[in-house]
Amino acid sequence: MTAGHRVTTITAMNAKHVLGLAPLAAVKNVPPGAGFHLGPGPVLLVLLVLGGIGFGVTRARRGRPSAQHDDEWGRREQPPPASPGASAPSGPAGPVSRAVLPGVMPAGDTGAPPARARREVSFERPAGGWAVETHGLTKRFGSNVAVNDVELRVPRGSAFGYLGPNGAGKTTLIRTLLGLTRANGGTTSLLGIPVPAERSKALAGVGAIVDEPRFHPHLTGRDNLRLLAAARGGDAARRIDPSLERVGLTERADHKVSSYSMGMRQRLGVASCLLGDPKLLILDEPMNGLDPAGMHQMREMIVSLADEGRTVMLSSHLLDEVERTCDAVAIVDRGRVIRQGPIDELIRGAGTASVRVDCADPARAARLVDEAGIAAGTSLTDAGLMVALPAGASRELVAEINRRLVAAGISVYGLEEVRASLEDWFLSVTTRLGEQP
Amino acid sequence: MTSPAEALPTWPLIATKHLELRKRRGLMITVAVMTIGPAVLILALRLAFHLFDPAHYGPAGDPDVFDSITNLTAEFGFIIAAVVGAAAGTTDLNDGVFRYLVITGRSRLALYLARIPAGLAILIPALAVAFSMVCLVTAYEGVPQPATVSVGNGISVPAQLDQAQLQTWVSAHPQQAAQAFPPSPVPGSGPGRPTKAEDITTEYTNYTAAEDAQLNPAANEMFKIGLWLALEVVIGFLVGLGLGALTGQRTLSTILLIGLEIIVTPILARVQIPYFLNGQRLDVGIAMDQLRPAALAPATGGGPGPGGLLFGGRGALQIPSMPTWAMISVIVGWIVVWSVIGAWRMMTRDA
Repeated sequence: MTAGHRVTTITAMNAKHVLGLAPLAAVKNVPPGAGFHLGPGPVLLVLLVLGGIGFGVTRARRGRPSAQHDDEWGRREQPPPASPGASAPSGPAGPVSRAVLPGVMPAGDTGAPPARARREVSFERPAGGWAVETHGLTKRFGSNVAVNDVELRVPRGSAFGYLGPNGAGKTTLIRTLLGLTRANGGTTSLLGIPVPAERSKALAGVGAIVDEPRFHPHLTGRDNLRLLAAARGGDAARRIDPSLERVGLTERADHKVSSYSMGMRQRLGVASCLLGDPKLLILDEPMNGLDPAGMHQMREMIVSLADEGRTVMLSSHLLDEVERTCDAVAIVDRGRVIRQGPIDELIRGAGTASVRVDCADPARAARLVDEAGIAAGTSLTDAGLMVALPAGASRELVAEINRRLVAAGISVYGLEEVRASLEDWFLSVTTRLGEQP
Repeated sequence: MTSPAEALPTWPLIATKHLELRKRRGLMITVAVMTIGPAVLILALRLAFHLFDPAHYGPAGDPDVFDSITNLTAEFGFIIAAVVGAAAGTTDLNDGVFRYLVITGRSRLALYLARIPAGLAILIPALAVAFSMVCLVTAYEGVPQPATVSVGNGISVPAQLDQAQLQTWVSAHPQQAAQAFPPSPVPGSGPGRPTKAEDITTEYTNYTAAEDAQLNPAANEMFKIGLWLALEVVIGFLVGLGLGALTGQRTLSTILLIGLEIIVTPILARVQIPYFLNGQRLDVGIAMDQLRPAALAPATGGGPGPGGLLFGGRGALQIPSMPTWAMISVIVGWIVVWSVIGAWRMMTRDA
């Protein structure tokens, strides 16, 4: 196998270890008589007791552990998929996307879910401006440059991934976009409206979860939404019930948030985003803390939001999640955007497509293909012959390989195109960067 | 830039901020205990004592009881107002909700201003309940109001006189008046030096002071005292809100303001520090004590006592009074400065 094909064997979990990314379950949760002349002693004592009541009760309530955990996601509200293993496409077996050629039976395992058809994403400037656009955006904390001269363009109506390892500056960029912290340089616009100059106007069309969804734990989910709807104004209050229904929290809406699991808080966070009927949703690590079933539901929700024509920008360090959910992606590393564009284009540009050939005589077939000089290389594996396609090769080349093998009397049982995943591309990009002096 | 209209909080925003505070059970218990609690406890005990041992314990509506509970309510009122203010100023930050409120696009100034009516809507009713109980008990369970007031040297003067009526009584009873209102020494004079006869204004002041101590306050005086208590609570809340928004830490803000109320202010009220008198007068507690309605006797009965220095000493000012304009300036200054600081921090803070 050539170096270009090694990527097909790397699993998502392996890649995380290679990249040093955090494990999936890492949650940023950190988620109080005649006279009554009183002397100082008794009064101070009373104060201490009363203060103890005030702070103690609050602290005790705040510190009370959640009675429910992530595995509640879907169990009470919605039934989980039949088999967690089969329904958890984020598992270790998930990173390779396969496109089965027409007229050819799929070879090998068929357990991987079919790839979602991505929307066409244009990086031509739209009439109303980009959903998110930054020029030279920079944010420093002392000498540490968290966001470094970022040039970002998020097309409207797309699901856009902002991908990078932990500490790459993803959350800081989002906070800067939303005006939660001031930028040190550069310009920003949301939905074509400059921020922070017209921040209120811009944010009226934006819903966001930053870092993790946080709510007043002593209030119910509905009361928390009331608070946010009151701040948002307009018709937001009327969208509380529909939003709760959409995220499947209607039955638990009148329970205190302190009793919610992480997954339920994530869903409540999405519900809070929907209060303003946003054209743009910015979700920071939306899969954090979710179990596989929860991730599946969150993924479906994100896709459905994008299907409604909303722009969904999500940051993540989970490569396969971004690949499954998003149409376009920007890769960020050490505060700087190093690549951005439609995922399919980026992966094609990486030139890592190959074909797995299931045939009667793999060794002879390899010699035949090598002698014909039509492939970038061949290699024999336990699964059969792997033929690396040259960069930019058309699908007709796969048919040509089939014709030549059949003409040589070699029985061909199957041909499977194996495309590099976003993860593979990410690895190749970051590897090249690492090689730069 | 935020337009003035955008900076104003909407009614739903105020209502939900009120809800957010009201649903904090621990805080609400503390508010009830510190505002209504003292009145309920003292009045209940006094009513019970009077019921079982009327010879030793007078009615609950005694002027001393009124003064004691009111002074205690003023002290606790400031403290609990500071606690609620600090909670209102920090709760969104501590719960991590502030950033989500900012993301709504709502003016940060409006978010800050919404907390003021929301917090006061909790404190003022609680204070009103407590003070109303005291006033009702004083009015209906009080001692029979005497027809005369005992002034200087035990001389009895008819009660409820205005200044002109007092002057008429003084003219009609010169010998009794001389004993009731003995002339005071002329400033700078020594023993044996001539003294200046009291003018009618000073005599009337002494007369009303004796009236306040011996008679229950009239309805209009109770109203004034109620307003003064409300002002005390408003100041405590706004300072707590501003300090909480500035520091972002509820506990620190609360401790600082309790320290101001029960330690710093009584000391500054009692101890005249050379060359620092005007500095002492900048303490809002001292200004508020000077604004204290005349019908409300100080907690220590007007003089220094063993328990007065650290707590309850307010009202017994041992430093010279300041001009009225200065007193009002100090009070308004505290309200404005802390509100501006809190709002500024809220508007510039990273969310």
